[in-house]
Amino acid sequence: MMMGLHMSHPDPPVRLKGVGDSLWITMDASLPVEVLKKELCKPFERLRHQAVNARIILDPGEKALDEPLLEDLSTFLKNRFQVGRVSRPPAPKAPPEDASTRPDPENGWLYQTEDSLVIAGRVRSGQKVEARKHLVILGDLNPGAEAIAGGDIIILGTLLGTAAAGQPDNESAIVVAMDFRPTQIQIAGYVAAGMSSSAGKKPEFASLDNSRVVVADYTKDNPFKRLAWPEVR
Amino acid sequence: MDGKIIVVTSGKGGVGKTTVTASVGAALAKQGKRVAVLDMDIGLRNLDVVMGLENRIVFNVVDVIQGRCKLRQAALKDRRIDNLYLIPASQSDEKSVIKPQNMTWLCNKLRREYDFALLDCPAGIEQGFKNAIEAADEAIVVCTPEVSSVRDADRVIGLLYARSITPRLIVNRIVPQLVEKGDMLSHADVVDVLSIDLLGLVEMDDAVVVSSNTGNPLVQQKESRAGMAFNRIAMRLDGHPDLPVEDPMAGRSFWQKVGKKLGRKNRTAKR
Repeated sequence: MMMGLHMSHPDPPVRLKGVGDSLWITMDASLPVEVLKKELCKPFERLRHQAVNARIILDPGEKALDEPLLEDLSTFLKNRFQVGRVSRPPAPKAPPEDASTRPDPENGWLYQTEDSLVIAGRVRSGQKVEARKHLVILGDLNPGAEAIAGGDIIILGTLLGTAAAGQPDNESAIVVAMDFRPTQIQIAGYVAAGMSSSAGKKPEFASLDNSRVVVADYTKDNPFKRLAWPEVR
Repeated sequence: MDGKIIVVTSGKGGVGKTTVTASVGAALAKQGKRVAVLDMDIGLRNLDVVMGLENRIVFNVVDVIQGRCKLRQAALKDRRIDNLYLIPASQSDEKSVIKPQNMTWLCNKLRREYDFALLDCPAGIEQGFKNAIEAADEAIVVCTPEVSSVRDADRVIGLLYARSITPRLIVNRIVPQLVEKGDMLSHADVVDVLSIDLLGLVEMDDAVVVSSNTGNPLVQQKESRAGMAFNRIAMRLDGHPDLPVEDPMAGRSFWQKVGKKLGRKNRTAKR
């Protein structure tokens, strides 16, 4: 019933609603200027003094609002109803990316632009290396040195110092080293100290398993071997 | 003269900085260089005792810096070795009486007077250390085969690199018997962690204690293995940079002893 009633009356050519601290006027810009002015008077006369100094946004809908018309209506409203600033609606936000340009989730590495840190050299006692995402050290981490990363820590050398991966709360982070003899390992909020090194001199990695830091042989128990498709860490 | 300023440092105390300074200084002087050894451990001086010159001190390095005497007045000539001079530390001041800019001035003076100036750096990485490395051209890092010493040396090496000084390493107090049994880090382990150029390996030697107490220079004792090691270190510092480093572990295994008897040469350590 309501629906039918609405359909029988077409939208009024000028509609007004409050948006934030301004008045948003949706109008049919294709109508002649005189008709528009007459239609504008209707809601503004109802508002009376409430329209004084109000900020007005003139929204022509789909149609274009050319500069002389905006100027004309602006002057008319200011003189007649003492409104404040009159402007066009703000430019709409950029349209969402076209699906064809969006990265293909199966080949994500082609679009990789994340801030991982790769450094070469020896990190000495008292020195500290921090990375927002993954940290790769082409060298050794000496006792007394610290490596801190938001993601994984990969050391292509000897790990003798402290490595804190997945800071502050990435529980899937791992710490890999060619020679794994750390002073301490932290993953997310979990700490493991004094880990016994198996013989050493072989690649091992630490990961979280049921809130415990566990160390395993990287060559034997590589956690990524079973992934169906290469994915971005 | 355009001499070299070499700072002897370690981070940790009690690893043999003072012995190294006195011995390497004496060895360089024996090779005919004009050498000054400076005690930078203001307030805790002991290089004078090790060199047997404690009863001749009139002026010290603080007097030189504060203009109370000339550099030559403060420099004590060694009793036994020509061309070797000691500039002692003050025992009554604090390390903060010397500022880094004073050291730049002093080192420029030393470069004009001597071929080599060895600065005996205090333990730690505070003001005394900063003063000592301020104007140094080279650095010798002394480290014993102990985990604590290696860690402190590592920190010091980082700080030296930050000041664009390239350090070289002396591994001091190696006890081959303990290394053999696996109870002590080997010098290879130490070099592996610190990864800087090796200047020399010095064995633990009772003659060092005797020498420090009597002031009789270690490098003049032919039978002292440590003394001979310091002589070779001095040669590497001056004129013979490629002199091979002798491995204290060489010739310790049974077959090597047999080989030695048969006239085979000692293995040398990897540099």
